[in-house]
Order: sequence, then C-alpha cells, then structure tokens
Amino acid sequence: MAIQLYAKVKQEATFWLGRRLPRCDELLVTMSESLERKLTSREKIKLRLHFLICDYCSRYLRHLRILHESLRRRGDVMEPEPSTSSLSDGARERIKRALEARG
Amino acid sequence: MSETQAARQRQSPDPSLWVDQYGDYLYKYAMFRLRDSSVAEDVVQETLLAAFQAYEKFGGRGSEKTWLTGILKHKVIDHFRRTSRESKVELDEGREFEHPEMFMQTGEWVGHWAAILEPDKGHIAPIAWNTNPATLVEQNEFWVVFQDCLSPLPERIASAFTLREIDGLKSEEICEVLSISVNNLWVMLHRARTHLRYCIELNWFRREPTVK
Repeated sequence: MAIQLYAKVKQEATFWLGRRLPRCDELLVTMSESLERKLTSREKIKLRLHFLICDYCSRYLRHLRILHESLRRRGDVMEPEPSTSSLSDGARERIKRALEARG
Repeated sequence: MSETQAARQRQSPDPSLWVDQYGDYLYKYAMFRLRDSSVAEDVVQETLLAAFQAYEKFGGRGSEKTWLTGILKHKVIDHFRRTSRESKVELDEGREFEHPEMFMQTGEWVGHWAAILEPDKGHIAPIAWNTNPATLVEQNEFWVVFQDCLSPLPERIASAFTLREIDGLKSEEICEVLSISVNNLWVMLHRARTHLRYCIELNWFRREPTVK
C-alpha cells in the first residue's frame, strides 16, 4: 500500500515537474546549437535539469555527438573503401581525353 | 628512376596515369559529399585539369594525392556555391524534417516527446545506441544508410550539413559559400540533424538483426 502510494506520488511529481520544464522540441534546437557555439550558463543549466528527468532528450544529445564525431572521422578517411562505387569506364575515358586535349 | 627521368616527370606529369592512380579515390571523396555521380565525375575532371595546369606550382613537394585532394575540396565547395546561388533561400524549406510527429501536438504536454504519454509512439522516440564513432566509421553499410537518409533533404540543407559536419568548415565560411545568415544556417543544421538522427535510428539502430 505504502509502496503503491509512493510510486503514485513519484509519478505525479515527475509529471508535475515535466509539464513545467521547457518543451523538448525547443531544447532540440539548443542541443544542435551546442555544436555550433558556446551555450550560456543559463542554457546549460536548463539542459542539465531537463536531462535529469528526460531520458529521450539526453539520448538525443548523445546521438548528435556520436554522429558529429563519426562524420568528421569518415570525412578524413583517406583510403577509398571497397563497398562504394568507383569511377565508371566511360567517365575514366572522358576525363583522359579531356586531359590529353589540354596536354 | 634516374635523376633526369624524375626531373622530366616533374615537368610534365602523365595525366592519364593520374586518372588510373587517383581517379577512384577522388571520385569516392567527391561522391561522399555530392551524392550525384555525374556531378562527382565533372568535379573530378575539373580537379585534374586544374591540377595539370598548376603542376609547376606543386613542383613535386609533398604527396600528389594530398595535393589533388586539396584541389578537389575547393572544387566541391565551388559547386555548392554555384548551386546555392541559383536558388532562393526559403525559411520554411525543409520544416517537415523537424519531424513534428515525434512530439505532442496539443494539450498540456505540447512539445514533449509523444512517447511519454502514448506508448504506441515508443518507436519514434530516441532509444539507446550501443555504439561509438570509432565503430561506426568502419561500418560501410552504416554509411549506405546514412547516404539514403541524407538524400531526401533539400539541396541547400544537405550542402550546409556536408560542409559543416564532413568538411568541418566554420559557420562564417559556410554562410559565405551558401549566401545565408548564421541563423539560417543553424536552423538548417537543426533540421538536418533531427532528420538524420531519426532516419538512422529507424533504419540502422532499430533494424532487425540479420541472420548470419
């Protein structure tokens, strides 16, 4: 009984708090901007408090960071990987001819 | 190779050898950024022609491949500059890629993840990704999914995202290339990131594990 009551109160408290926190969809904008500029301390606190009760948003920011870092690394990969297509024979010949014409 | 031979090669490179030696590499580099084979082919051709004309400036210092990559990078940026000049900036462009369906549309919980109140929306709220950048970089199939997710985005948004996230250009540089304001850029990046995260989660992190 006491446990059920506790669970109920906790859920209500979370909901009460949740409704008063800034909207998730608006915070997504701040999260994206955190990769572009230094956030103000006010914005940082707002995000941290929000993450305390919103797993979805804290995952969202983690995902943005994973993608950001992966893309940068992939862009720097100097060796071509075998899975993607290569220059077609037609294009190869065309480029050679264009180069010879200038040469 | 004798000294004289080497010297002769420095003066006049064999361009058709370049095509065989670096063609595929340059093409893939361009494709990752431009996602259009005929545009990528043209950019590779422009790169090699420019390189051929500027060969004396290179003078054999450093690696030929790095030098060619540098030229290619500029040619890709030039392409983005040209194409964005041809189209007007619309503020609402790509708004749907913010995927409003992920959030409550009305009521007290408006703007919060719909999955909080509606359990059947669980599949459109973020799940934990058990991965890290070092792993993802190596997974070629992941990058196929990535390209598929990037392709529906409006051209300018995809360009902004590519310049920022793949080439790591600074905000001001991107704004100059695409003729947009910083606020425009941030809105575009937000839309691109929201969509890509969502699309990649659906098609990669939530996909059925393949039986081996």
